[in-house]
Amino acid sequence: MPVEIPKDKWPGSVRTVTIGALPKDGGTRKCTVTVGGETTMPFLHYEGEIPNRPVVAIEIMDRQPDDWSPLLAEAWKDVMDDPAKWAVAAEQAGADLLVLELSLNNRNGEPTTPDEAVSAVKSVLAASGLPLIVFGPGQAEADNALLVPISEATKGERIVLGICEDKNYRTIVATAMANDHLVSARTAMDVNLAKQLNILISDMGLPLDRILMDPTTGALGYGIEYGFSVMERLRLAALQGDKMTQLPMIVTPGYEAWKIKESKVGEGVPETWGDWLNRAINWETLTAITLLESGADVLVLRHPESVKRVKRAIDELMSAKELV
Amino acid sequence: MSRYIATRAIRGANALVKEAELMLNKALAEKGPDTKVSFPNTAYYLPLIYGMTGIAVEKLSDLQPVVKHAKILLHPTPSESHWTPYLGETLDSGMATLLAAEAIEAIRFVYGQQPEPIPGLVLAGGTSYPSLDTSENGHGGHLNGPIDDIQLRTWGIQLVDGRMPGFAAIVGAAKSNEVAVKIVRELQRRNILCFLSGNVNGRSIIHQLMEEGVELGYDTYTVPFGTDTISAIYALGFATRSALTFGGLKAGQAREILLYNRERVFAFVLALGEVDDLKYAAAAGAINFGFPVIADTIIPEILPTGITRYEHVVSMPFNEIEGADDLERAERLVQKCIEVRGVKVKLAEVPVPVPYGSAFEGEVVRKNDMRVEFGGKHSRCFEYLYMAPLDEVVDGKVEIIGPSFDNIPSQGHLDMGIIVKVAGRQMQEDFEPVLERQIHYFINGASGIQHIGQRDIAWIRISNNAADKGFNLEHFGKILHARYHADFGAIVDKVQVSIITEPELLQQWLGKARTAYDYRNKRLADLTDDKVEEFYSCTLCQSFAPNHVCVVSPERLGLCGAYNWLDCKASFNINPTGPNQPIRLGKVIDPVKGYWVGTNEYAKIGSHGVVQEVSMYSIMENPMTACGCFECIVMLIPEANGVMVVSREDPSMTPAGMTFSTLAGIAGGGLQTPGVMGVGKFYLLSPKFISADGGFKRVVWMSSVLKDMMAEELRAVAIREGDPDLIEKIADERNVTTVEELLVWLEEHNHPALMMEPMF
Repeated sequence: MPVEIPKDKWPGSVRTVTIGALPKDGGTRKCTVTVGGETTMPFLHYEGEIPNRPVVAIEIMDRQPDDWSPLLAEAWKDVMDDPAKWAVAAEQAGADLLVLELSLNNRNGEPTTPDEAVSAVKSVLAASGLPLIVFGPGQAEADNALLVPISEATKGERIVLGICEDKNYRTIVATAMANDHLVSARTAMDVNLAKQLNILISDMGLPLDRILMDPTTGALGYGIEYGFSVMERLRLAALQGDKMTQLPMIVTPGYEAWKIKESKVGEGVPETWGDWLNRAINWETLTAITLLESGADVLVLRHPESVKRVKRAIDELMSAKELV
Repeated sequence: MSRYIATRAIRGANALVKEAELMLNKALAEKGPDTKVSFPNTAYYLPLIYGMTGIAVEKLSDLQPVVKHAKILLHPTPSESHWTPYLGETLDSGMATLLAAEAIEAIRFVYGQQPEPIPGLVLAGGTSYPSLDTSENGHGGHLNGPIDDIQLRTWGIQLVDGRMPGFAAIVGAAKSNEVAVKIVRELQRRNILCFLSGNVNGRSIIHQLMEEGVELGYDTYTVPFGTDTISAIYALGFATRSALTFGGLKAGQAREILLYNRERVFAFVLALGEVDDLKYAAAAGAINFGFPVIADTIIPEILPTGITRYEHVVSMPFNEIEGADDLERAERLVQKCIEVRGVKVKLAEVPVPVPYGSAFEGEVVRKNDMRVEFGGKHSRCFEYLYMAPLDEVVDGKVEIIGPSFDNIPSQGHLDMGIIVKVAGRQMQEDFEPVLERQIHYFINGASGIQHIGQRDIAWIRISNNAADKGFNLEHFGKILHARYHADFGAIVDKVQVSIITEPELLQQWLGKARTAYDYRNKRLADLTDDKVEEFYSCTLCQSFAPNHVCVVSPERLGLCGAYNWLDCKASFNINPTGPNQPIRLGKVIDPVKGYWVGTNEYAKIGSHGVVQEVSMYSIMENPMTACGCFECIVMLIPEANGVMVVSREDPSMTPAGMTFSTLAGIAGGGLQTPGVMGVGKFYLLSPKFISADGGFKRVVWMSSVLKDMMAEELRAVAIREGDPDLIEKIADERNVTTVEELLVWLEEHNHPALMMEPMF
């Protein structure tokens, strides 16, 4: 008996968003990254279009991070104290684009100055031609103080500036508007909050095709199912035609997976947990692939091996369309 | 619009456009059409002309079409004897004035007459003029002229993100130097930018401030443009560039640029001293941007709103302003400007000598740690908030009437009344109780202070620790002022607090407060579903019950018990994109079961298509869904032809054979289950409580905790239902835990449900 696979016909689709600008468009990038455009749930190629493959960003920092796992330090070795070298290494490791995260304090333990931040961003832009996402240290005042001069110094590059949050989005959005950049809008695992922030940002006049939304998530075993279902619901709402949820999603599985005990701790843990490095990479990879299945468009990772594995998974999921 | 103003503005515009034309012709002849024309350090050419007309002026001849355009916008002055509409004409003339003024300033730059020279002034930061600013005198010997793009970016971002509430274009000269300084200080204190220009008989506010040694320049947020009215154009050039830079707008989108400014740039014109034709004309120009004009002299007012958010032109003759002296009058004048433009002022923190935050809300102050208490067993404490007209409230004023607690022995007590007077453009009487209830949370936020109760049963304790740190009565007022602005700024513009301990006055106010409490109770009782045109949605809980939506009506509060219809209304006013949205009822489909076109449509959208219809008053047909936060569960007991009501606080077994926690799994999750419903406990008292199914008489069993908690209210319901002994006929867990027992009980007590129609 032939089985007919039910197909949904969705009225809505995800917006396409392009990150980075080529020289002809006022930037200096050697390539751009375009995400979004889906007209179906993740990887249901038989049902609708998935014109742009999900992409992998590698997270680097403006200096040697203080609290990253020694396993990551081992993987990146000495490039970690030089954002330009790190950017090149990340590009070689297969990143589609880069996330540069700024530290709250500089190497001397003093607050990072706008000049230092600008020069870190400029050195990364000079070293690698990949499109760039820049995240502030995550404290409202520091974010505003650092991101505004960065935005001005890189006018026209179509960088993604983050992190816009409920309490702190206006300054970042304003400077993104004035300097032709994009923003990343983060809310805490809640469909309505995500939607509300998108409304607030677009109310300021920033076109929706310059916003990525970050619905946040937890690592595998640490609330990922919650994050998964929020993302799934956001995507369903988008496909149902809700304009304010039709933005591509960016998530940070690298950050989530590397802060939990299973990947952070190598000693004094049950032997059955197995090899530390293997476990940590598996954790990051599985977290990322799970989120991929819930609709993530940009995955931010930390370990080069995870990048390899996740990209392989994306290859397979995208090539599944040949099977239809 | 006043014809007087129209006449003078149009006359002023005609004169200035003529002047621009003459100057341009002279310049074309003397300097040649290809002479470069520009403002310093801007990428927006002559910004107002660029924004409004799309013309990128780069040389003198480019100004010809601009002046031509300005001439087209001119109109003859209104006829003396015949009435014709002239608002449009006046606004057009205002725009013509602005185009002409910017053209004139540009030509002055060609002749080296801008920036305007002024001996003895050194700017604290300003637009840089390499030819004028040598290393010795810095930004010296001249006024600022137009603001450059670098500063535009710095301030523009702050205007957009709200750190800077707005700007004031001050034109003319103040009554005295003292007043000039006070006005600027008051504006600076609120982080409002001051742009200075104009004069009255040759004297400008710029001269006044210079004589008083006030530092002028970018660094002090006070920018002197020029001592004539024409230089005020730089303020509007700044506004235009804000829209182009931060509004994503393009040159030539005049309407959008003007609207952007009206909606987002909180600016106003403060005209000091006599207003001449040119000032009227320039003011008409500013009104195009939605910037109102406040004058400190007698001029005709234009109060109806339209182009501007509130009034267009407000006259506040300086000498007639209430106040002990000129300084107080200046303060009031600034306050008025802020009100007229609707500028919102933010307060950074709560100014109290103890730590403050929601973490301290649950703190208990025990008798032994207590310095003094108000209310409780031995004294009386009440709190009362009411709204008043804007001009009757002095924002930030905290008044203590009567003795403090200095002379009260340790662990003693004192009577106290907290009277909060609020005013706001968006304030409504209905919000009074909503705001008053916040006093509890606000005061509790201070470490070492305990607040219990509300209205005239409030009970406040101050701990020894807090008193030692200097916490006194005034701080109650400070807290309330800061928090109302921070949390309710959308509806509250001004807050004034009186703390009364003087016995006689206290009694008087207690009387007034009680009258108000009664009035509000009655208002709430009168507020029925058929008297309103909209209900409110509440999607606060969708984070964990994604498809659940509460429909909150006056007679059915949210199932969590925390949000009634008034709360939702206030919440919507405060946060228009938030979780409480109005649901227009539209056509009624079934008044008994409670179906409207609007509620059904919303149910579909809000539940993402899971729920198709929702009945407001029935538990049997399309009952409202629940998240999980309900205070009570109402559930059908088929054998008894009625329903039971289980409280969240009741852990015991119910006749349904399940405890609350088991039942919660059936009632929650956003699914419609006929016969099961999660509700707020006050809904039980509503005449609309499952009214389609027979109402309160259907209740056959109820957790005793509810009976105790709401004894008085339930008695009133029983009387309303025409069965005064009804509550005694309702079983509870103390005597009935099974259906069999329940049926016996109902028979014994002759419960009305047995005689009612079958429920299904």
